[in-house]
Amino acid sequence: MRIVIAEDDALLREGLALLLRAEALDVVATTDSPTTFLAAVDEFRPDVAIVDVRMPPTHTNEGIVAAVEARRRRPDLAVLVLSAYVEQAFATDLLAGGAVRLGYLLKERVGRVEEFLAALHRVADGGTAIDPEVVGQLFARSRPDSDLSRLSARERDVLALMAEGLGNTAIAQRLFVTDGAVHKHIRSIFAKLGLAPDDRADRRVTAVLRYLEDAQRRS
Amino acid sequence: MPRRDTVGRATAAGPGGRGSTVRRYARRGVRMSVDAIEHLVGGLGTAILALAAVVMLVLVALASVVGIGLPMVPSAAKAVRLAANRERARLSRWDRDLPLPPPVPTGLRGVLHDPWVRREAAFVAAHGTVGFGLGVLGLSLPISAVQNLLFPLYYWVLPPEAGGPGFIDWRIDGFPDALVVGLIGVGWLAATVALGPTMARLQALPGRRLLAPPRDVDTSLRIAELTATRAAALDAHAVELRRIERSLHDGAQNRLVAVTVLLGAARRAMVRDPARAVEILDRAHDSAELALAELRSVVRSILPPVLDDRGLAAALDGLAAGCGVPCTVQVDVAGRCAASVESTAYFVVAEALTNVARHSSAASAAVTVHRSGDRLHVSVVDDGRGGASDGSGSGIGGIRRRVEAHDGRFTLTSPPGGPTTLLVELPCGS
Repeated sequence: MRIVIAEDDALLREGLALLLRAEALDVVATTDSPTTFLAAVDEFRPDVAIVDVRMPPTHTNEGIVAAVEARRRRPDLAVLVLSAYVEQAFATDLLAGGAVRLGYLLKERVGRVEEFLAALHRVADGGTAIDPEVVGQLFARSRPDSDLSRLSARERDVLALMAEGLGNTAIAQRLFVTDGAVHKHIRSIFAKLGLAPDDRADRRVTAVLRYLEDAQRRS
Repeated sequence: MPRRDTVGRATAAGPGGRGSTVRRYARRGVRMSVDAIEHLVGGLGTAILALAAVVMLVLVALASVVGIGLPMVPSAAKAVRLAANRERARLSRWDRDLPLPPPVPTGLRGVLHDPWVRREAAFVAAHGTVGFGLGVLGLSLPISAVQNLLFPLYYWVLPPEAGGPGFIDWRIDGFPDALVVGLIGVGWLAATVALGPTMARLQALPGRRLLAPPRDVDTSLRIAELTATRAAALDAHAVELRRIERSLHDGAQNRLVAVTVLLGAARRAMVRDPARAVEILDRAHDSAELALAELRSVVRSILPPVLDDRGLAAALDGLAAGCGVPCTVQVDVAGRCAASVESTAYFVVAEALTNVARHSSAASAAVTVHRSGDRLHVSVVDDGRGGASDGSGSGIGGIRRRVEAHDGRFTLTSPPGGPTTLLVELPCGS
């Protein structure tokens, strides 16, 4: 797996490269600005780009803009965006072009190496990785009378893991329940949210996010 | 208040206090008299303008009786405004700030109904007559005093029947007579000292009463001014919060993320290569310490506790004492500035001294802080090798951003070979 890193903080950039190389992943370039990142994407044809949201010159959303542009140039590029904090607007911008081969994680998740690597591989293989925090924040913001509030606690857990991009089996392992139980929860969630049932991973995440965006707009 | 004078002035209460008390009173009397004369002369200037305006008003009024003067009313009002504004400027320089009124209305009706113009007309009537008289009197008292006091020195060149200066028209026969004239001069001097300040206050009275904004207008002007300064303060506040947010996210938080990344890597390495794991743990440790250092500097930059406890002067002394380069501090600030201004000044000096110690190889540094009007001036000068710049990661960028957030001015002169001079000017906001 060929990886390009875009992170303006030198220590963090080196730390990330060190971690990934130790896992025998091929970090082909590390860059510290949107322009050098886009140049590296053109030059090295990576499979995955790991991009920090805040980069020079203004340290606001340069990373998102650069990631969207990189995807426009190379639609098959998998992008994993790392952010110091969760901003729903970032997620919305990023997911506007679809959730396939896309990840949006808080930076500190990188430290949980197994989970981070799993997310990285999932994104590279055409899946999705959305940080649980994004989902959690939307739960917190949703109004008490919304459809979301009708979900049971267990169903919320399942929804959050679905949003992270996990498949049924992985969710079952995380929650220590059977595949069948997860399947039942998912059907129930879709019913309560008024969505057509579908088991395919990216469709599920897209559906979840679309619903969550919608909930945010209404509140 | 932290105004610090190196010259002591604690003599009044000590032994021999009586003599110095008398001297103090004498000094104070002289100063007050000179001030009074200065005010009276200045008042005489504006009174002459007011008198001219009064003459014009009377002429226009007379002409209006026969019907031809009415079109001239607005120009007369402008002449009145001119005289009034001169007095406003004079009184503002003296003590209380008198805001300028909105422009004179254009139409005849507007002029006649304008509350400002009416009060100004009353003002020129009073100031152009009584104020003028007081000015003339105030000027002639000290002149007479000087003439009479000097008379005994030169009476002998004049014929005896010429009399003395002023109203003295009797024969001056010899020195005793001239001495009497001199004693009258002492009387004039006493009158100048005794009456001068009162006369100056009396002369300024119509202006203070009539040229201040009418009560309701005063309030609305004040509100407009407060709204503007408050908006500016909120802006500065928002910029400041953004700066703090950025230094937390891009500084300490990134360091901590690096810690978790390195810890994760170390855990993975533990199994495969324990020696490598230890190496990675070392780096994680360093990164954690960096995070702490950055948190400390962010907190210090928000509001150093020492400022609250001991004031700016003492806080800067503390900084200088902790600086690796010998450093003098001179603070001349009467009263306290806004907390945000003081903390910015403190931050600027702290960063600048850190630079001096780290990069300049200077033998000495000097910090001066003084206030003039509503600006606080901070300068940090060192005799090091110069060549400091914004981009060298030296914290200069931070100083610049911090100063700009307060709408202040920042200049750095640092030619190669030195010396380096850093000047910062901050609006005090009070």
